Amino acid sequence: MTGESAQERDELAGEYVLGTLSFEQRSEVQRRLANDPELRAAVDAWERRLLELTDLAEPQQPSAQLWPRIERSLERLTVKKPLTSWWNLLPLWRGLSAAGLAATLILGTMLLTQTAPKPSYLVVLVAPQDKAPGWVIQASNAREIQLIPLGVVEVPADKALEFWTKADGWSGPVSLGLVKPGQALSVPLDKLPPLQPNQLFELTLEGANGSPIGKPTGPIQAIGRAVKVL
Amino acid sequence: MPLAESVFDYEARLAACARGEHAALRDLYVQEGPRLLGVAKRLVRDTALAEDIVHEAFIKIWNGAAGFDPARGSARGWMFSVTRHLALNQLRKQSRETPFSEEHESAAPDELADIHSARIHRCLEQLEPQRRSCILHAYVDGYSHAQISARLDTPLGTVKAWIKRSLNALRECMG
Repeated sequence: MTGESAQERDELAGEYVLGTLSFEQRSEVQRRLANDPELRAAVDAWERRLLELTDLAEPQQPSAQLWPRIERSLERLTVKKPLTSWWNLLPLWRGLSAAGLAATLILGTMLLTQTAPKPSYLVVLVAPQDKAPGWVIQASNAREIQLIPLGVVEVPADKALEFWTKADGWSGPVSLGLVKPGQALSVPLDKLPPLQPNQLFELTLEGANGSPIGKPTGPIQAIGRAVKVL
Repeated sequence: MPLAESVFDYEARLAACARGEHAALRDLYVQEGPRLLGVAKRLVRDTALAEDIVHEAFIKIWNGAAGFDPARGSARGWMFSVTRHLALNQLRKQSRETPFSEEHESAAPDELADIHSARIHRCLEQLEPQRRSCILHAYVDGYSHAQISARLDTPLGTVKAWIKRSLNALRECMG
């Protein structure tokens, strides 16, 4: 919202933290928090001011089932969704889970039985949060890859999906261009070294013309590593 | 048993969560689980639902650990904020103003004795008792404007104005 005074913003932040906003107003504040640093600072200040009031709620011993439940969810969630400087997060890259790998193998097998010639590399790009497979990459040689959507994703009108790759030992990710949701794409790798096992691929949400700095800046929509097909 | 807050290193545990160490999340759970559950239970007034919220909160804490920015506040405070906002979202979504139930616990002003921070204690004390009740009912019990109005038998517009002015007074007092 433009034209909002600092006073109005602070009152909104105060009532958000206090809890008196309606569901719709809360949703609006939560939507704005992602890209409104002034509102975020006002909310943070109110969180700090009122935090001690949580002492008024009597602590309650959780049931014996609660921690095992949390732990089971953790095990399903081995890839985190980082908010900042995700490219440098070792656990993220390490963390492609058994589930992701299983999806890779299952989908890889499905592809193998359906397509010819046999691809030499396969990648399944999965959503970082729920591991839902979104795209498959296959390469029948190391110089060109095909990106194949498994469904149609929603991309906001002012945003675009940008396709990136990084192999071990590269200093940073390299853009492979913008991707239209739901459309298959062939990408020549002629300016890059040949495909390597374990090479990372991902799609991030960027501005309509792609990342302005040549490095991923937006949230990861899908991510996966190349597996060499034997 | 939870350690004293001054001894327990919340930030270090969050950093370990960001590295993928489950044990660090478990430490945070042992340390704050009962208090977080208490906060959630007081807001949603249902133990099973409160446990669902704490479950979701710990997943959110795990997922958000790498993006946690200490410049924005303490790690402990962030854990409480995550939990409270999940509970408040739930409360506002499910109620959208259900009729006020008399079974609700009430945050009586004498509970102020339970607040350990001298600063907010002093600032709340400077508010008139009814205005202070508005703040406590809202923050601790999750009451909406309409519920506070019913509870205090005070017109809705008056409650809204009291809350606005009380927040301004608290901000002045606490900086």
